[in-house]
Amino acid sequence: MKPDNFNHSPVTLTSLLETLKASRDFHLQAFTIAGKPFNLFYYSSLTDQTVFKKELLPCLRKAENSSLKEITEAIPFIEALIVKDVKKVEEKLLTGFLGLNLQGGTDECLLIPVKEQKHRDVTVPEVEFSVIGPKEGFIEDIDTNIYLIRKRLPVKNLINSEIEVGSLSKTRVAVLYLDGIADEENVNTIKQRVEDIEFDHIDDSSYINQLIEDNSKSPFPQLLDTERPDRTAASLTEGKVAVLVDGSPTAIIGPTTFLEFFSAFDDYFSNWIISSILRVIRVFSVAFSIFATAIYVAVLTYHTPLIPRDLLDTLVQSRDAIPFPPIIEAVFLELTIELLREAGARLPSKVGQTIGIVGGIVIGTAAVEAGLTSNVLLIIVALSALASFTTPIYRIGNTIRLLRFPFLFAAQLWGLVGIFIGIGFLLVHLLGLTSLGRPYLEPLYPLRLQDMKDSVIRLPFSRQSQRPVHMRPDNPKRFNKQQARKTRDIDD
Amino acid sequence: MANLIPERSKVSPFFLFFLIPGMQVGVGVFGFPRYLADEAGFDSWLAVIITGISTSVIIWLVFIILKRGGGDIIEIHRNTFGKWIGGFISFLMFLYLFSFSLVILRTYTEVIQIWIFPDLSTWSITLAYCILAYYAVIKGFRVVTGLSIFAVIISFLAFSSLIGPLEYIEVRNLLPLLDHSISEYLTSAKTMVLGFLGVKMLFIYYPFIKKPDKAVKWAIGGNVFTLVVYLFVVLAAFVFYSPGQLQKTVWPLFTMWQIIELPFIERFEYLAIPAWGAVILSGVCLALWVSSRGFRLLFSFNQKQTLIVLLLIVFSLSVIFQTREAIDRMNTVTAEIGFYFTYIYIPILWLIQSIRKKGSS
Repeated sequence: MKPDNFNHSPVTLTSLLETLKASRDFHLQAFTIAGKPFNLFYYSSLTDQTVFKKELLPCLRKAENSSLKEITEAIPFIEALIVKDVKKVEEKLLTGFLGLNLQGGTDECLLIPVKEQKHRDVTVPEVEFSVIGPKEGFIEDIDTNIYLIRKRLPVKNLINSEIEVGSLSKTRVAVLYLDGIADEENVNTIKQRVEDIEFDHIDDSSYINQLIEDNSKSPFPQLLDTERPDRTAASLTEGKVAVLVDGSPTAIIGPTTFLEFFSAFDDYFSNWIISSILRVIRVFSVAFSIFATAIYVAVLTYHTPLIPRDLLDTLVQSRDAIPFPPIIEAVFLELTIELLREAGARLPSKVGQTIGIVGGIVIGTAAVEAGLTSNVLLIIVALSALASFTTPIYRIGNTIRLLRFPFLFAAQLWGLVGIFIGIGFLLVHLLGLTSLGRPYLEPLYPLRLQDMKDSVIRLPFSRQSQRPVHMRPDNPKRFNKQQARKTRDIDD
Repeated sequence: MANLIPERSKVSPFFLFFLIPGMQVGVGVFGFPRYLADEAGFDSWLAVIITGISTSVIIWLVFIILKRGGGDIIEIHRNTFGKWIGGFISFLMFLYLFSFSLVILRTYTEVIQIWIFPDLSTWSITLAYCILAYYAVIKGFRVVTGLSIFAVIISFLAFSSLIGPLEYIEVRNLLPLLDHSISEYLTSAKTMVLGFLGVKMLFIYYPFIKKPDKAVKWAIGGNVFTLVVYLFVVLAAFVFYSPGQLQKTVWPLFTMWQIIELPFIERFEYLAIPAWGAVILSGVCLALWVSSRGFRLLFSFNQKQTLIVLLLIVFSLSVIFQTREAIDRMNTVTAEIGFYFTYIYIPILWLIQSIRKKGSS
């Protein structure tokens, strides 16, 4: 098809039907209602044949009048509509409507919705699995997803404004927020950015995510993506804005902060002391994951006096027979781990697991025995790979694994000085990032002590009476502290 | 021009608490206990207090000058001294503020060369820091302010580590108290000036502060923080070294760090000196941001291009200054100019402004 023909649409219904007939799954048949000849046309692949045959056809046969208006009243479909505009007819036919038109009459059509509803059932979230708590995950159908959220927030303030994105895919994108709680500026920013998207095909929410994030040159995700309806609903109550995309089992939430990527939704299901400690462990494991190998390379290449003699002995002994400098050794091992991870992700799940374990153990042991790497480094690399998976949000884990390599090379170049220059770059980058125009490093910078209550640590719910200042919520109060349970004195 | 600053580039007055030490605590802190002791012996910790308090007074004066003059230093100079002389003084001031970035960066690279990498070429590490500084400064004032927070936190941690060597201290080193003449204290206080410079950067920060009227207390608070930190360092050095030892030590702070031993770290300075990079980064970025902003306002330059030119100057001068003497001299000259600019010029400016105001009313 020539490009200039592409956007050209037929002006009359007859020519439209002619064009559509090129597809095998488009059906055009004559049908008689109350003695008059009608055209009945639809895409068999888009319409539900059971509904069509069992519910629609008997009604049409029984109809006594032949005017479209009276037919509409005779059939049990509330959403049926009469349309004259050919462009609109085309649009509706392509979303699963069935058309009915008087032969030889005007272009006026009756459109009846007999959409095929095929989607998988709501299942357990796989990436953000939680041991305790709800086990629902989003699915690919946007209406089901909206239902999952509405079920958790049965209030009229939950507003769903839908925007159609994608010149070809015509994807439904729903922007959800709680009116009166979410800051209007956030809502408008996100709506504006979604509306401004110029793209032909939206396959997943991650498309939207990349198209609307503040700085697309950053490896850090600036909007949170989750497959948990409970997390989405909880974020909405904090004053955040959620975006659902038809055909995608993940929701996008914004504005977000760097630290939010380290909070699992499980944290709210267990006691605050335990979940605070778990969050701290996650932050440390991420730091370990980024810097451990780089520090190993820096110390063994340049700063051997930095570590105590006894520890140095162990390190030197383990590296005794290895013919490479530390950097080659480290890059080799890091790449091996990345390769195992990537292969594990691509292989079918049952094979993948076996390959992962066999590959990990066999290659690791063999590499040490063959004298290619030291076992100390093997421990460090394996641990840091493991540590990068502690992040509850999958996307930031990838960022962290990627960050390791620049630090490795910086360590080889200038040792610890290089690592700290790298930290400088990272810090400047993070300081400059924003999520929907809100600072990414909040509450660390700008320093907001009142938002620390749910950051690296999580204080008990009784202390969470205010919504995060970061969202600039219209209504900052979650609940009235005075009405909540009062503390008791001794022996009361 | 100063009125056109968008709200999102501004910071709340609280951040002056970090911006002031973020500039002051640079590289001077490595060596100053020895220079101090040259004049007033082990009594000279008093000099730190003298300089600290007088700097607080200067900060207060700076705020008065700015408030009266509407917050724009170029305008204030122009009104006070006329178009040409006023402009020239502004130019000198920005040039002087710019020189900080050179002093800090060159001294720090020297420290790295002496303590960690003796064979490291100056240009490579300077280039890395220049690129890093460029990356930070083009992101604007908020990012530079953020850096100063991390600088203050890291310097605080580094100084707290001096608790480690405390087991070897000799408190009697400090005695007898107050056995020097006043002039000795004052000369000693003058050597301390290098550690408290950067107050004049307030002239440029001022329009970027959200509620400038409420900022004085935070600025002075930051200055007091510096004072306390310096006092701690100088006292730690005086009780740790004997007078003879201190004379022979170029950087007392590092030698004290050498003493610290942790279960997995034997030479603490190997970790502390690279980490100090974050502190100097804040100083370099603040100096570069302030001077490029100043030149932009003064000459209507493009700030990005100005910044590139300034960085090229820093880079080439860093490579030119190679010997210990040259670097030491550079430090001394900057301190000297800073002394006159801060402690003589600012009070004079304040006086002229006050007299004019009385005259006009």
